[in-house]
This record gives sequence, structure tokens and C-alpha cells, in this order.
Amino acid sequence: MKIIHTMVAIATLDLKMWQRMPQAILTALIPPLGMALLLVVLSYNATQQPVALVVQGSGPDAIKMKNLISADTDTYALRLTDAAGAASLLKQQAVAAVITIPSDFDADVDRHSAKLFLTLNNVDIDFGDDIRRSVNRSVAQFDAPELGQDGELDPNDTYMSSVNPYNVSIDEDDLRQTNVDFIHYQVLPVLVLLVLSVGLIGTALLCASDTERGTAKVLLLYPVDPIVLIAGRLLGGVLACSIVLIPSVLLCLVTKVITPPPGHWPVLCAIFLATAIAASGMGCILGTVVRGSKNIAMASSVLATYLFFLGGGFTTIAFLPDWLREISTFNPFRYAIDGMRQSLFYPDLSGLPMDVTVLSATAVVCLVLGALVVRRSWAQ
Amino acid sequence: MNGFWDTRVLAVSGGFLAELAQLRRARLFVVLTIVQAVTFLLLVTLYGLTGSRAPTAVVLSDQGPLGVVFLQDLANDHHSFALTRMTLPQAMKKLRRGDIVAVINIQAGFSDSITHGKDTVINVAVDNVDTDMTDDIQRALPSAIVAFGNQMHMPGIRVHAVENDLIDHDTGFIPYLVVSGLILDAFVIAGILGAVAVAREFESGTVKYLVLAPLPPLYSIGGRVCASALVSAIAMAFPVFIVILGYRVLPIHPVEMMAALSLSIIVFSCVGAALGAVLKRTLPVASLIFGIALPLYICSGSLEPSRFDGPVLWVLAHFSPVYYAVGVFEHAFHGLTVTPESVLVNVEALALWAVLAMALAGNCIQRGIATGTGATRVEQEVGAG
Repeated sequence: MKIIHTMVAIATLDLKMWQRMPQAILTALIPPLGMALLLVVLSYNATQQPVALVVQGSGPDAIKMKNLISADTDTYALRLTDAAGAASLLKQQAVAAVITIPSDFDADVDRHSAKLFLTLNNVDIDFGDDIRRSVNRSVAQFDAPELGQDGELDPNDTYMSSVNPYNVSIDEDDLRQTNVDFIHYQVLPVLVLLVLSVGLIGTALLCASDTERGTAKVLLLYPVDPIVLIAGRLLGGVLACSIVLIPSVLLCLVTKVITPPPGHWPVLCAIFLATAIAASGMGCILGTVVRGSKNIAMASSVLATYLFFLGGGFTTIAFLPDWLREISTFNPFRYAIDGMRQSLFYPDLSGLPMDVTVLSATAVVCLVLGALVVRRSWAQ
Repeated sequence: MNGFWDTRVLAVSGGFLAELAQLRRARLFVVLTIVQAVTFLLLVTLYGLTGSRAPTAVVLSDQGPLGVVFLQDLANDHHSFALTRMTLPQAMKKLRRGDIVAVINIQAGFSDSITHGKDTVINVAVDNVDTDMTDDIQRALPSAIVAFGNQMHMPGIRVHAVENDLIDHDTGFIPYLVVSGLILDAFVIAGILGAVAVAREFESGTVKYLVLAPLPPLYSIGGRVCASALVSAIAMAFPVFIVILGYRVLPIHPVEMMAALSLSIIVFSCVGAALGAVLKRTLPVASLIFGIALPLYICSGSLEPSRFDGPVLWVLAHFSPVYYAVGVFEHAFHGLTVTPESVLVNVEALALWAVLAMALAGNCIQRGIATGTGATRVEQEVGAG
């Protein structure tokens, strides 16, 4: 009973100290907030591109082509204009490309030589290639409707044309039942970064202040095993993470940013708890090994960023080169991000036992190592 | 007159040398600042990797020549796929493990069907982890089919796309991103060092002694900011060399690059100094600068010309020095024009920003000293007396 009382007392004291250090709170919260903002803007950037559409033809084929292009709202933010207007927009960089359906389009369609003109400001290949692929898809769809997005996914072949001049069609099978939009997929792992950042920086600064202010000596005079005191500190770290995380998750729930299946909550909580314990343990080690609060804040921020992006928080792991994928396998927070995505976005819990096991093992290792390092430092 | 200037130069050089000595003692902090900046380059690289070449397995069961032709069209399709040939069980295992994002199965008889004008189906299994990736694959496959159809001169095709590029070469996404990333590196390094140089004076209380000196404290603190700017310029050599040697992105106009980098470092050191005077604490400096750098990076045309992001973001971007610096840097490295303004206008805007940032830093430091030491009250009392 005394042990628990002592742990709670230390944790409460640490939380009060946190309250008195607004700079430390800022230090822990700003990087995840900045990262969230970055990911939101990146996600929007990855979608529509401003494109001018010039329709000079007025026949049914020109109208059909115009409708196909206009329907591709995933790619284009279209502006209908004339040739002079489009040239001016392109010059001012108000659009990235101009698509022109010429006046003789219908006549050329009958001759099988119709042209769809694309003038592209190919500053970089990211958006340039998106536009190129989309124009090609519209061209393909004109003759073979089954090559459009709906046609690829259609199991009943209702889009199948009587004559597909390409003789090739696509039958797409999706591995997962749900479709997760890019913004949710990219931004929500910031919750893991939030836990990491608060756990790491908070515990590291408190451990450092014990050494810098000499309070470690006073703590050692207290008649309980130092391990209990250190456990109290870790509990404080976990509670600090919870204080920040719970309102964030509630906000996401209220705004319907997340709607996990009811049965997934226990796993989600386990993932966050294990992440918080591991982060606090790492914070103990960092705060003891590195000297100076400025250096600790900087080192914690760098470490949290690396653990986050090597865990797939900023990217899709499959796109990484092999050697980086190998490294990411040894990053425990990859399992936190994978597990969080799985429990939030997908109906099944496949892979989660593995994720939770790795995270729990990491939490235990960090807990023990953190306690040992701090105890040794206090003893010295 | 000489004595007037001598004392001022002495104060500035005193602050300059003191800051150099301070930074020499805080090597770990300087190293961590550089690591933070390099981290930024890695972050944008990782993001750039997801923009193209989706890791995809191809199962080529067709024995004829046209399967290989189609495979080649897939490989050449606008940087869409990083293709690896494997068997179907291997491919599906990798897909389920998350090592690849799609499996394209070119079935046996593909060549025969095409040769005899019969329809054939390409089976595609996609790991639809998010819609963006699925959309990319759904766009890329018809695009490859169009290329294949044109290559085969299939007679039924009625419409052909004709492309005219404004620039005679394509620039890779990662080379584009890392160049604009260098500006944010300058912001991180110069901003942090400038802010810490000023905040430390308030935190340690030395600013009170500077107020008692016969010269305004701005001279000594200005010397410190100059030293931090010099160290930032030296530290920036690391990210610049990483971009040049590691990413093999060479500047076409090196003088332009140096000019923009120098002006950026002056601007960001002064912005950092202003921030340091406002915060008066060194602890939150690094996080705050890194936190500001992330959204600033995006809203200043670092991913694509800012004008493409719509008029609101474009107008807002003009209030950030990063917008002008990115404009000059992309031109200096890639020869690209990414702002409607000319390079000269961007350089002039950066120079104007440097003057404004110096004025801002001076003002913030003076206000900080006044509020931090009660100097204004004392001056007022002396004046009233």
C-alpha cells in the first residue's frame, strides 16, 4: 500500500511540476501539432491540381470528352475557359496545365485521328505525372468505358463496351473491404507522435531536473526502494501522456474524424498505454544520459521524429527502400502506428496480436532499462 | 568621432566573440541543430518516395512477345510503378505482408488474344490501404494500356493525347523537394541559433548587466546574433553538401544560390533573435522553430508552385520569406520558375525581408530588455527627474 501511495505521490508531484513548466509543455506539444498541420496540407496537396479546360468543339464527341474530363474530380480542379484565357492562366501559374478539345474533334473522331491536347507546366513529376496519367485515362475511357475507375472495380461488367479497341481491360480486386481516405490515413498516426513526444520530453526533463537541481539526493533519503520512486516518475509520464491524449481522441470522436468499431477500443487503449510506457522509459534514459535541458529537448524532438517517420507515420512503409524497411522492422513504434491504423480503419484485427506483443515487450524493456539507468545515476 | 565608432565596434565584436566561445562550448547543441535540419531533408525524401513508383509485383504467365511489351509499357508509364517479376504465390504473400502495394497478373494467352483481336483481362490485386495510392494505380493502368494500344497501332483507337511541355526536362519530385527543403534547413539552423543567442541573455540574467553598460545592449546582442549567423552559414554547408553529393543535385547558378542562402540566413537569424527576445527562455526554442518550420514549408510553394495551391494560400505565401527564397533556389538548382515573380524580384524581396527582420529583431530585443529589466521605467524616472 505504501509503495502505491509513494508512486502516486511522485506522479502527482511530477504532474504539478509539469504544470509549472509551460515551456516544457510547449516543447512537447508543438512538434506533433506542426506535424499534424504539415500532414493535413500535404494530403490536400496530393489530390486535385488546377487545370484549365478549353472546349473548342461543339459536337457530341467533344461534349462526351468534356464530360469525361469534368467527372475526374479526384485529379482536377477544372476551370472552363477559352484559349486566350487558358494561356494567360498558364503564364500566371494559376493553372498547372491546359487541356484543349479542338474544334475539329468530332470530325477527327470519325477518322480515328482525334487529338486531345495537353500543355503541361512540368515543374516536377509528382503533379505532372498525375495529370498525364489522368488525361490518358480519359482518352482510354472515351473508346473503352471499362477503363475508367468505376469500370475497373465493377464486378458485373456493366461498363463493358461492345468493342474495346485496346483489347485489354482491367479487373481490380481490393485487398481490404474499407476505403480509407488519404488525409485520415496520414494524419491520425500523429496521435502516436503526441504520446511519444510528451512521454519522452516530459520524463526526460524531469529526470534531468533531478540531477541539475540536486533533488535526486533528497529523493534517495526517502525510506523506500528507489525503484518505487522511479516507477512513480514513469507513472507520471504515462499520466501526462493520457492528459494530452484523451482530449485529443475525444475531439477526434466528437468531430467524427475517427469511428473505430466498438470491439477495437481495448486494443487501441493497450497500444496507447504501451507506447506511453515505452516513451516514458526512453525519456528516463535520455534525461539521464544527456546533460542540459536545451540539449534534452532537442534530442527528444529529433528522436521522436525519427521513431515516427521510420515507423511509417509519414509514409507508406512499402514505398521505402529495402534497407530502410529492414530498419523500420526494428522500430517498435512502427507496430504502434500499424496497430493504430488497423484498429481505427479496418474491420478486422489481423496483425494486432503481433503489434501489441512487440509494443508490450518494448514497454517492459524500456521500463526496466530506464529504471536501472536512473537508479545508477542517482547512486552516483 | 573615431572614439564613438571604436566603442560600438568593440561592443559588437565583444558580443560576437563571446557567442563564438559559447557555441564552441555547446558543440552537442550545434550538432543536434544540424541533425534536426538533416532530419527535415529525410522527412521530405520519405514523402517524395510515396509520390511515384509504387512497388508492384508483375506475374507474367504469358509466353508470347506481347506480354513483355506490355510489361515494358507498365515500366515506362510516367514513373508509376517499380516493377518486380515474381510468381503469383510469392506476389500475394508480399502483398499481404505490406511489402508491395499491387500485383499485376498478365495471364497466359495475352499475346494470342491481342494478336487475334480478342479481348483479354489484366487481373490486378491492390492493397487499398488508402485511397490516394489506389487512385494512382487506377490511373496508371489505363495510361499504360493507352501506351500499349498506340504502340501496337490498334486500329479502333479514335482519340490520342498530344502533350506539349513548357519545360524541356522533367524534374524529379525528390530533387525538387530537397532543394526547397534547404531553405527550411536554413530556417531551422539560423532560427534556432539566433533565438538561443538572445534568449540565453535573458535566461541567465546577463541582459541586466548589459543595460548598465555605457552603450545600448543592442550592440553586444547584435554581435552575438552576427556570430550565430556566421555559425549557421558554416553549419548549412552540411545539408548543402548532402543535397549536392548525396542527392546529386547540382546548382546551375551557384552564385544565385549563395546569394539567396546568405540573405535567408540573415533573415532567419533575425527572426530567431526576435523570437528569442519574446520567449526569453532557451528550452522551447528548438521545438517552436521546428514546429513552425513544418507548416511554413508547405505554405511557401515548397512542393509545387504556390500558385497551384489556390489564391488564398498564394497570397498568404507572400508574407513568408520562404516563398521568395524557394523561388530563387529552385531557379538556382533546377532552372525552374516556380513563382509568377521573376528571380530578381524574389532576390529584392528577400533583401527587403532582411532589412525588415533586422528592424523586427532590434525592436523585439529592445522591448524584451525594457520588460525584462524595467529599463523603460528607470529611463522614464530619470527623464522625469
